[in-house]
Amino acid sequence: MTHTPMDTLTVSTRRAIARERRTLIEGQELVLIGVIALVWLALSFATNTFWTAGNIQTILYSIAPIAIIGVGMTAVMVTAGIDVSVGSQLAVVTASVGLILKELQWGIVSTAVAALVIGGLLGAINALLIVKGNIHPMIVTFGTLNIFRFVALQIFGDSQIPGVPGTFSFIGGSSAAVTLGIPNAIWLAILLVLLQWIYMRSYSGGRHIYAIGNDARAARLAGINVGRKLFLLYLSVGFLVAVAALVQLGAGGLVQQNVGLGLEMKVIAACVIGGTSVLGGRGTVLGTLLGALLVGTVTSAITLLGWSSELTNLFVGVFIIIAVGIDLLRQRRRARL
Amino acid sequence: MTSNVNTSVQPTKDTVPEKKERASSVVKVLTTDRMWLLVVLIVLLITATAIADGLRLLVAPFTVRYLSVSLIALVPLALLALAETFVILSGRSGIDLSVGGLVSIAGMFFGSMVVDHGLSIVLAAFITVVFATLLGALNGFLVGFLGFPPLIATLATGYAFSSIALVMHDGAPYSDPKLTGMNELTAGIGPGALAIPWHVVTVLLPVGLLAWMALSKMRWGRSLYAVGTSDSAARYSAINQKLVRASAYAVAGLLAGITALVNVAQFASARPDAGTAGNGLALPAITIAVLGGVAIAGGVGKIGGALMAALFVTWMNAIILIAFPGSFGSRVQLLALGIVLIGAVLLNQAAARHQAT
Repeated sequence: MTHTPMDTLTVSTRRAIARERRTLIEGQELVLIGVIALVWLALSFATNTFWTAGNIQTILYSIAPIAIIGVGMTAVMVTAGIDVSVGSQLAVVTASVGLILKELQWGIVSTAVAALVIGGLLGAINALLIVKGNIHPMIVTFGTLNIFRFVALQIFGDSQIPGVPGTFSFIGGSSAAVTLGIPNAIWLAILLVLLQWIYMRSYSGGRHIYAIGNDARAARLAGINVGRKLFLLYLSVGFLVAVAALVQLGAGGLVQQNVGLGLEMKVIAACVIGGTSVLGGRGTVLGTLLGALLVGTVTSAITLLGWSSELTNLFVGVFIIIAVGIDLLRQRRRARL
Repeated sequence: MTSNVNTSVQPTKDTVPEKKERASSVVKVLTTDRMWLLVVLIVLLITATAIADGLRLLVAPFTVRYLSVSLIALVPLALLALAETFVILSGRSGIDLSVGGLVSIAGMFFGSMVVDHGLSIVLAAFITVVFATLLGALNGFLVGFLGFPPLIATLATGYAFSSIALVMHDGAPYSDPKLTGMNELTAGIGPGALAIPWHVVTVLLPVGLLAWMALSKMRWGRSLYAVGTSDSAARYSAINQKLVRASAYAVAGLLAGITALVNVAQFASARPDAGTAGNGLALPAITIAVLGGVAIAGGVGKIGGALMAALFVTWMNAIILIAFPGSFGSRVQLLALGIVLIGAVLLNQAAARHQAT
């Protein structure tokens, strides 16, 4: 939070720090909630289809995979790392699970285990190269982005995978997979976000993630096993990608070869809009969930307003600039304190 | 590919003692200067392919003509790798994810200038490059002056550029006899099998030379290395570090603008997804820059390395297509790029450790 030694701080700053620790929601998250509320309000006046159960459920389902992967990505980015291979990881898991369901007709549990094993394996490869190979995470994951995409395309062979059975339809996008008006997929995402949020906030293991992001050397000197922590974080991204793949596969049907293409940018955008700093040391999964929600809302809004869907990325870009700009201003003010 | 190097370097260790000194200095150059490592890799690649061709293992014949024709893919790849080199050199986790979107939007802008506004090719090309430089300067302003993390600023502007490129002509490409005529610029020149694409000589070589001069011989280039190495040290040496860093992004924009023109010439039309189709152009460009020895932390890297890496990847991709049949070949290209990238960095680190001990 601050690099100034405690004894040189004035009483008022100390109070400010204490206050910040006590609040459940950080500044960036409040800003986001405000922005989302404004957009929703504007949409409810501009369209008469936004506030329908079907539309809200579609938005929520569409952001579930991003939020689920974001749970891992946020932690990785807090350590000043990154994983740009998640899109290719998702392609490998989706293609293999699609084939497992279609050709081998495995059940829910065995397929889920298989997905987690495959996802974990991909995460472990990244983790091994980053921690043991001591290579910059961006280089490693740029490399594995290509390698994993090759693996996925090999699994596909020369064709798409049609007619995948809907074994996982209970977390899919259909209107039946809804509990209390909210898609089961988003309940799953909320559960994962909550667990990670509590872990990163209140457990020493979670605080170590921030310590590594602020100063990895200092963290090592303080007795944190930095290598092991990083390994587990990149591994967790692989597991979470597997979960996201099951959600996206959901009701089954056709799996296309371009699955997961560009997903890494969406997840990173959600993290950044949610207040995670790519320079490490700052960020919460709650913010990432809100960031994903904003991106999902904007995507839906553009369709509802009848605008060209290609405009979505323009708005996502503008929101990233605004969100990070506000964050930079707040940091500058905090530095002046 | 890297295992090839190791086996070829290995025998030098077992040579007679008096030759040992010289041999170890060769090893040292190969492991520390990425450009020479890549030159050796290119020679090995071509030799291996020629042998495979002799043994009739290839799908199509391997000829000098094939190598020179395949250089057409080198130009955009090398230009964008140079763009990334400048940006990554500038430090503070410098990176430019927007070059793909920039190529798309600049190409469409150029198409609109020529087709909708009836400008001459030369004037439109000039305005397009200025336009692209300004968009790059926007990245530079966000990163250099406002303090945005480069990854984020260029992710956002890249989103915006690619999105605008898609809507500005309703997703349709610009095609016009004048644009089609530009395709002449990419025709082969030179005698017979050695005929290399025209724009390798007219565009890539001059740009590469200018980039090398700007970086190695000019004050600006030396300041860029200083800023990339240490922000505060550069500031204390009276370097305007904000301006220098911002200018690196503007130069990247300029190079992306030239790439857009090359793209229009190669495809004989301006496509709205020219720089963003598939995985886009930014990822390969960054990969090639890093393969060329540019350190992601900034302050380290050379133009020669980036150009050699682009040449290596171009020929590797071309050879893979005649080594493996059909769509399998294009898939192997992905695999090879990933392995080469990680392999090169691992090799560098092994060399650094070897020197430390």
